Amino acid sequence: MQPNEIDAIHRSHLRQAARQRCLIVATQLALLLLFIGVWEGLARANAINVLIFSYPSKMWQLFWSLMLDGSLLPHVAMTVGETVVGFLLGTLLGTLLATLIWWSPFLSRVLEPYLVVGNSMPKVALGPVFIVGLGPGLLSVIAMGCAISVIITTIVIYTSFKEVNPNYVKVVQTLGANKRQTFTMVILPATIPTILSTLKVNVGLSWVGVIVGEFLVSQKGLGYLIIYGFQVFNFTLVMVSLAIIAVVATLMYQGVAVLERLLTRQFQ
Amino acid sequence: MNQLLSLPAKIELRHVTHLYVTTSRAFMAVRDINLRVEEGEFICLVGPSGCGKTTLLSLIAGLEKPTAGKILIEGRPVEGTSRQVGYMLQQDFLFNWRTIEENIFLGLDIQGIRNRETEAYALHLLEEMELADVRKAYPSQLSGGMRQRVALVRTLACQPDILLLDEPFSALDYQTKLKLEDLIFSALRRHKKTAVLVTHDLSESIAMGDRVYILARNPGRISSEVVVPAAIREALPFDARNHPGFHELFHQVWKEMEVVSDAAK
Repeated sequence: MQPNEIDAIHRSHLRQAARQRCLIVATQLALLLLFIGVWEGLARANAINVLIFSYPSKMWQLFWSLMLDGSLLPHVAMTVGETVVGFLLGTLLGTLLATLIWWSPFLSRVLEPYLVVGNSMPKVALGPVFIVGLGPGLLSVIAMGCAISVIITTIVIYTSFKEVNPNYVKVVQTLGANKRQTFTMVILPATIPTILSTLKVNVGLSWVGVIVGEFLVSQKGLGYLIIYGFQVFNFTLVMVSLAIIAVVATLMYQGVAVLERLLTRQFQ
Repeated sequence: MNQLLSLPAKIELRHVTHLYVTTSRAFMAVRDINLRVEEGEFICLVGPSGCGKTTLLSLIAGLEKPTAGKILIEGRPVEGTSRQVGYMLQQDFLFNWRTIEENIFLGLDIQGIRNRETEAYALHLLEEMELADVRKAYPSQLSGGMRQRVALVRTLACQPDILLLDEPFSALDYQTKLKLEDLIFSALRRHKKTAVLVTHDLSESIAMGDRVYILARNPGRISSEVVVPAAIREALPFDARNHPGFHELFHQVWKEMEVVSDAAK
């Protein structure tokens, strides 16, 4: 077989793969457009209740007018801010707690039942407690966004700390490492991929916490807009808020995914 | 001779017994081990699995404390790990988030002795192992034999006098293993290290060691000792295998192993 023949086969394989990708993206777009089109069509034909389900063109109008009068962005910024802070706090506290119980096996055994209870507990049920303790505002919402992810983060990261191959620990021990060095040189770097993938899960969890928190107390934010729209029976506003949440939450998740890829490149 | 014996040995085990205790039982890994390794000697421990070979290495390395008996290095009892003792595992266990260079500096970082001089020494060792051109690479880009060589450099970079080798060749293919045996053998000799090698491979133990201890199991104990004659001892492992006396010696060790295995049945 000639080199140019091999090259031709490779090129045709690449073409095939590119065609496949195009087809997939086109189908994805078509599905989205179909969904929006059917929704719009059904609403205009009065086949669905417009008051409840609204319809795309009306949502777009509302979105645009809210954007122009500048009343939408502060809500989005508020929710995104709360989510980011809640999720960073949750991940950080969870990692710290995991470190603490890795450090002291005694403490880990003492805390085990509390972690199990804490994990089984539906955290949003703590809402009223946060509101009473932290006041009806920003702090309560952030606390909710954090509380919902902190225990599961602790458990996942602690488990991954324990699953680090003991031979890596043996290597540094024979080189004379103390406990702190063992942690910073082996345990932590070896579990960075796990910590980062926990981060991805936590983004989603923090959104849940923050939106529920806003349902309960806030005067601002996308969760507030949903509840407000619900109370004044403006379902177009509810739908617009939902669409924005879908887009922003996805962007955030993708952001963390990119971060994960960048930081774990060496681990492959 | 008398004067020599009165000098403390490089490594000495006196009546060492070690138990592993779990909730279900207390298990005796080794019983009453007496062993003396002189400076610059290369000794091998062979025996069926479960005879406590690795336990002995862990004890000498100070990773574990013997239940009874004494372990002395240059006459001083072992208390925890020490810079004097290097340990090489069955696999390389290089850190794949560090470059080769950073991997071989690991011990220097841990012991807080990383400076221009120690770094230069580590890089010199890397060069000796013919790996100078991969210093910026990551472990995943290297073959198994190369990685094990890097692991050796990582251990030697801290300049231990004693090297404990826990089946370091067992995960390699045969050709790489033979080459690496020669390389490590000559590196250890050149740097005048004292070494204890644990292995399953009888011919490897004869080719590399000055003395071979055959261990029995349940509980682990020394069954016999075979001294390798000077001609085989001094040749490189690859040449030693072709030495006329090698086969006979192999047969002798094989027989000793048979005794041990039969006794266990």
